[in-house]
Amino acid sequence: MRRLTNLAIAVATLAALLSGAWLVRGGGDTNAPPQPSAAQAARTPVQQSARPESAPALPASPPLRIRIPAIRVNAPLMGLGLTPTGSLDVPPAERENLAGWYEAGTAPGETGTAIVAGHVDNADGPSVFYRLGALRKGGAIDVERRDGTVARFTVDAVEVYKSANFPDEKVYGAASRPELRVITCGGGYTPGRGYEGNVVVFAHLTGSNP
Amino acid sequence: MRRTAAARLLTGTALAVVLAGPAHAGTGGSLKVYPATVTPGSQVTVDTTACGAGGTAAGDASAVGAGAFVLAPGTREEVAAGRFRVPPGAQPGTYEIVARCDGGAQADGRRVSGDLVVTLTSTRPPAAHPRGSVKTGVGGALGPDPVQTAAGVAALAVAAAGGTWLLHRRARGDRI
Repeated sequence: MRRLTNLAIAVATLAALLSGAWLVRGGGDTNAPPQPSAAQAARTPVQQSARPESAPALPASPPLRIRIPAIRVNAPLMGLGLTPTGSLDVPPAERENLAGWYEAGTAPGETGTAIVAGHVDNADGPSVFYRLGALRKGGAIDVERRDGTVARFTVDAVEVYKSANFPDEKVYGAASRPELRVITCGGGYTPGRGYEGNVVVFAHLTGSNP
Repeated sequence: MRRTAAARLLTGTALAVVLAGPAHAGTGGSLKVYPATVTPGSQVTVDTTACGAGGTAAGDASAVGAGAFVLAPGTREEVAAGRFRVPPGAQPGTYEIVARCDGGAQADGRRVSGDLVVTLTSTRPPAAHPRGSVKTGVGGALGPDPVQTAAGVAALAVAAAGGTWLLHRRARGDRI
């Protein structure tokens, strides 16, 4: 009987040792942000995905907030410029619930390509667009604007691009209708090298309120 | 009696200063004009926070020939916004756009203004679009989950306790 007890304790000790070591080393879970599946990629060139119908362009007015209900995003937007190398600047990393828009370009709702960017994470953990890669075609993105209107965009595609092969024209190029891009870091992550590229959401204006 | 009169006079002066204060401070405050540079025929949006929460204002764009318009709160209560269209025949130049708050106790009558530049050539020179990818992550979300690490430490503590107990037994001569 005593031997049985000892055996049970030995087995429990071994199990605790192994599972403890596994858990402390990080387990199987990497906490990597979700990435879009191939099904979320644009089937046709992005500019031609016309469903649902695009709404008429709104007059220019700067955006204040972005809301993406499907991934529980509700964040203020700050103005962004360009870095000395010509890439889009980013909001301060320590503000985890803050996104930005490219101020010198198109305002969301105007004809053209409006650009919004935000962090997927910072040194402390997930940030505003951590779940952006989980957004799906047909999802809604609302942008509150200073003139009181809310521009509603519908997602056409969610793509992931490597930094070395970033399609500038497709992402940032001019559009003949009101379009929106929402960008964050994505692709694989390698310690020391960081994220391989960006997750890019392509959307177009489908309505506004009021 | 004389003291009362003096007090009244003082109170009156103080009131006058208080009344004059905000009106003076409020003139020429900021009215944001967007876009700030336009071609004739364009629509312009202006807004201000000078009128307080829920405040409306009477806009005046007659300098550029667009006449009166109304500023009303939108999604954010403290921001009153309005729109007007620059007439197609507007001449190039810089025009002062004015808004005067109405309603709201202290903001009443407050005047704010902003400049609108009308040019004949393209409004905004097509801004260079950004190039390349965006640096929006450092991998901070990928680190070990603190809850998981704590669970692991707890499990190791259990293992240590079990191990100690077994060794103790063995030292006492009990067979495992």
